[in-house]
Order: sequence, then C-alpha cells, then structure tokens
Amino acid sequence: MSTHTRTTWTARSTLLVPALLGGLLLVYVAVPFVAFLARTGTADVLARLGEPQAQVAVRNSLLTATTSTIVATVLGVPLAYVLARRSFPGKRLLEGLIILPLVLPPVVAGAMILTAFGRFTPIGATAYAVGIELTGSFIGIVLAQTFVAAPFVVVTARAGFGAIDERLERASRSLGYTALGTFRHVALPLARGAILAGITLTFARAMGEFGATYMVASNPRTMPTRIWVDFINGGIDAVVPVGLALLAVTLAVLAVVQRVGRVPTVIDR
Amino acid sequence: MTLEVTGLTHRYGDELALEDVSFEVDAGEIVGLLGPSGCGKTTTVQTIAGHVNSTAGGIHLRGEDITADPPERRDVGVVFQEPTLFPHMTVAENVAYGLLPAGVGPDERAATVDRYLELVSLSEQREAMPAALSGGQRRRAELARALAPQPDVLLLDEPLSALDRGLRDRLREEIARIQRETGVTTLYVTHDQETAMALSDRLVVMSDGQVAGIGEPRELYESPPTPFVASFLGRSTRLPVTPPGDPGLTLESRALAGDGGTPADTGLICLARPSDLTLLDSERTETECTLAGVVDRVTDLGTRYEVVLTLDAGGELTVETQRVQLVPGERARCTIDRTDLLLFEESSGRVGPVC
Repeated sequence: MSTHTRTTWTARSTLLVPALLGGLLLVYVAVPFVAFLARTGTADVLARLGEPQAQVAVRNSLLTATTSTIVATVLGVPLAYVLARRSFPGKRLLEGLIILPLVLPPVVAGAMILTAFGRFTPIGATAYAVGIELTGSFIGIVLAQTFVAAPFVVVTARAGFGAIDERLERASRSLGYTALGTFRHVALPLARGAILAGITLTFARAMGEFGATYMVASNPRTMPTRIWVDFINGGIDAVVPVGLALLAVTLAVLAVVQRVGRVPTVIDR
Repeated sequence: MTLEVTGLTHRYGDELALEDVSFEVDAGEIVGLLGPSGCGKTTTVQTIAGHVNSTAGGIHLRGEDITADPPERRDVGVVFQEPTLFPHMTVAENVAYGLLPAGVGPDERAATVDRYLELVSLSEQREAMPAALSGGQRRRAELARALAPQPDVLLLDEPLSALDRGLRDRLREEIARIQRETGVTTLYVTHDQETAMALSDRLVVMSDGQVAGIGEPRELYESPPTPFVASFLGRSTRLPVTPPGDPGLTLESRALAGDGGTPADTGLICLARPSDLTLLDSERTETECTLAGVVDRVTDLGTRYEVVLTLDAGGELTVETQRVQLVPGERARCTIDRTDLLLFEESSGRVGPVC
C-alpha cells in the first residue's frame, strides 16, 4: 500500500465515526421534512395560498419578523460590543439575562411579556391610553418576536467582536479616529460575518416564533399562528400550504442574506 | 523638546507598574526605552499614546499638556509589538486610514500614500491585503501607516521582537534610515540592548517600573550609573570584594569606604565586563587585580569562548576570550585593568574605578 493511499485511508477512517453519528442526526432531521413535503400532493397548495387569510399571514410574518430583526440588530449589536469590550460589576448577570429567552419555553416568555406590557399593566395601560396597543396587535407580535429572537444576534455579534484583536482598535484611535469612528471602520467590518449570521438566525427565529406570539398577539395572524388555527380546524393537510410558504420564505431570505453578506457556511479558513 | 514625561506613575490594581518615570525626547531625536520584560516599557508607551490613563504624572507634547487627551487627539503615531494592520483593507488603504480624520483631501491623500509606500519600499504591494505580506513587509506597512499623518512623536513598541535575527537586523537599519529621512521624533521601545545601542541618540533604561539611567548609549555603557544598568547594558560579571589579606580583590582606597573600615564592610559592588577580563597563562606575572579559581565550564559561542571560573574568593566569574586551552577542573587566573572596573556603593550608586 502506497504512503498516499495509506494517508487517505487514515484520514477517512478518522472521520468515519463522527460522520456516522452526524449522519444519523441528518436522517432524523430530514425524515420529517420529506414526510411533510410528501403531503403536498394531497393538499391544494396554490389554491390555499391564494386565499386572503394566508396572504395576510405571509405579509404579517414578513413585516413583523423584519421589524423585530431590525430592532434586535440596532439595539443588540451595540450591546454585544459593550459586552465584548468592557468588564463591569453584574456583567455575568446581564449575559445570563440575555441568554435566558433562548432557554425559556416561548409560552412562558409570552406570559412574561403579558405581565409586563399587558393591557392592565401600568405600561400597557399607559400605552393604551395614548392609542398604542401593546398586545393583540402588530406591536405585540414584534414585542414577542424580539424578546425571543434578539439573543441570537447579541450572542453571535458578541463572539464576533470578541474575536477582534483590541490592538487594531487602539491603532485606529492613534490614527485619529474616535471610539465611534473606530467601531464603524474597524470593529463593524471585521465582525460583519458574525453579525450577519446573528441577523439571519434572529430573522429565522422571528419568522417561526409561535408560543410567545400566540400568548401576546394571536391576532393579527402570522404564518405560525395561521398554521395553528388551520391545524385545529383542518388537521395536518390544512397546515401544508402555509407551512410550505413559511419554509420557502425563510429559506429564500436566509439564502439572500448569506449570499449578500458572504457569511461562511463552514469555519472561515 | 518635543515630548516631556514627568513623574509618570501607574498602578494595575495594587501592583505598581510605573513609579515616577520622567524623561524627555528632543525634536528629531530617537530615544531608546530599554529594559527587561515587565519593567514598564509598554505601559509607558501606552500611557504616552493615551491607551492607558496614568495614576499620576504628566505628559507634554510640544509644550502642551496632553495627559487627559484621548488617543485620537494626541498626534502620536504608534507601531505596536504585534502586527495591527487592518485585515479588511489593502496596504494602501491602511496607509491612507489615518489621513482621513486629519482632513487630507483625496488627491493629497493618494500622493501621501504613494510617498510613504515608496519610503518603506512597498509601492508594488499597495493593492495587497495584509495577509499576503511577509512579516517584514507588514512591519514596514505599519511604519508607513503610522508616519503618513506626520505625528509629532512616533512610538515604536518592540516592532522587531517577533522577527528572526536576520530580518530584525535589516529592518533595524531601515528604521534608522526612515527616521533620518523623515526626521520624526521617535521613542523606540526594546528589550534588546544591541538594537537600542545601534539606533538611539539617547537611552532611557528602565527597571521595575523606574528609570534606572538616562544618557547617550556609549556614556551609559562605559559609565553606568547603577549596577542594573551595568549588567543590562552589555554583560557584566561580579567580582568579589574582600578585606585585605583575603583571596578576593582588595580595594585599598580607604577614601571609598569613608569610615576607615574595609570595603567589604561598606557594601561595595564591583562589576567587570567579561570582555575586559583576561585569562593569564602560567608565564605571566600577577598584576594587582588578579583573581584565581577553578574552571567550571567552557562554552563555545562561535565568535568567542565563555569561560566560567569558580573563584577561590567565592562566587563565579565569566571571562570572554577568543582562544582557550583550559578544560573544566583546571586552575586558572584572570586579570583586569583597574580602570575597567565598575565599582558601586550599594546604597548610593556608582563610586568610581578603583582597584
């Protein structure tokens, strides 16, 4: 056996066990997709998607998820930068708080939002008095989605900022740039990949958000809440059209973001 | 003068990193800030650059107090120990980076970038990304980037420490040339005394967060103000000083002791450069500064040998020599010219050359 062949065989055998284990997981994830897509033959997908209720749900989901992602990014990226660059008392607690919505059951998250911003809470009542409904509204959906999805952009952006050598920022300051200018010209471009990955995850999470949204604003309907209502009324086959639409829209947006942002799909070498 | 550092003190928590550091750098001068690792050199540079706020003391640049100014308002160019080229910009964009906040227009910016890239011989790499440059090219690009905004002072924080010896020597000469051509006032931080001696008009030697000596390189080498400077700036070996009659060096001058006692009682430290010590062969007569002992080890350093003697008077002595026929275990004697001795009183620094 030649050295080259032996090396190749060794390299393959090294990856055999992880490949087998990973393969099992892939199969487990793929099977429900295949099974679900197989139902499309039995459901009149295009006709159902053409119904006004479905179209409203698609529009609402796109609008609310985009708004939530923008809010989470505009507020979350600066927070991520502060967390990556500064040490202060209570920082660990703050970091735990940011991650908490990731591990919290979405229904509980919804309950928490209701206890803070519900119609009969001080904040909710005040907002209602000036004509702003924080629950059962477009704003309510955004509140629920932002609460649940914002940690994704904060956590990934923080990792991105943390990976930047602070000396680059010092060099920038010594070359005449303020802290803000340095953030814009050095930190932001260098953490771009991580930030875009975070934005992608946040958007995907917001698009698929159901539990908290249903608690806070079951109306107007988003795609996930529409799917739930369709399921209750018509069973699995009734879910397929909007479910497919949700899948297609999310995948399309993710593909565009990743392509535009050139987010690496594997470790950036 | 261009840069004046006065009573600079800095603490990291309870740890005192700098204590009352004061020195000046004149216009166009290149001053070497020399000292061992952890002596406070980088903290001093970071404080001058504004990246560390000193606990006490002041920094004046062209007569203006900049102690409380943020880094971007200091007109201080910095080349850091590790490469800090922006990896998302080309070499030319890196060099142009500092010109934008200085309000330099596009045409002048392009001309300045061309000029400084030519100065550091990187014109052909202007469109290259930093990752495509060699270690030496990166250092030169950083130098061009730091110089382009024409800072009042250029701080070079051990810029050559990560490079191999050959490249380090070549770049050292290049830095000297660039400094001569631009005339920029420079503070060069290094732990390498050879680099410091070769580059600097004056040296500031630091030890344990304090200034141990300031002066021209040759002056500091030949007349070090403290035992630390003597041992750090060039090599030195300690000679035993003993009362008359004992087998060490007998210091006859009572005036040195000042109290009529033996020099050993007064806490004197006697140092010598290993290259100033001469091994005596059996035919040569002893001089008044002769020490005897047993050869402990002989090390071949290529251009010279290093002989370590265990002295009869106690302690070890290192002698540098071009030729050696001694082997470990053999008895040997060495001598030194009395004017080459570096004598210090432990409490008050240097006393003078006496044997």
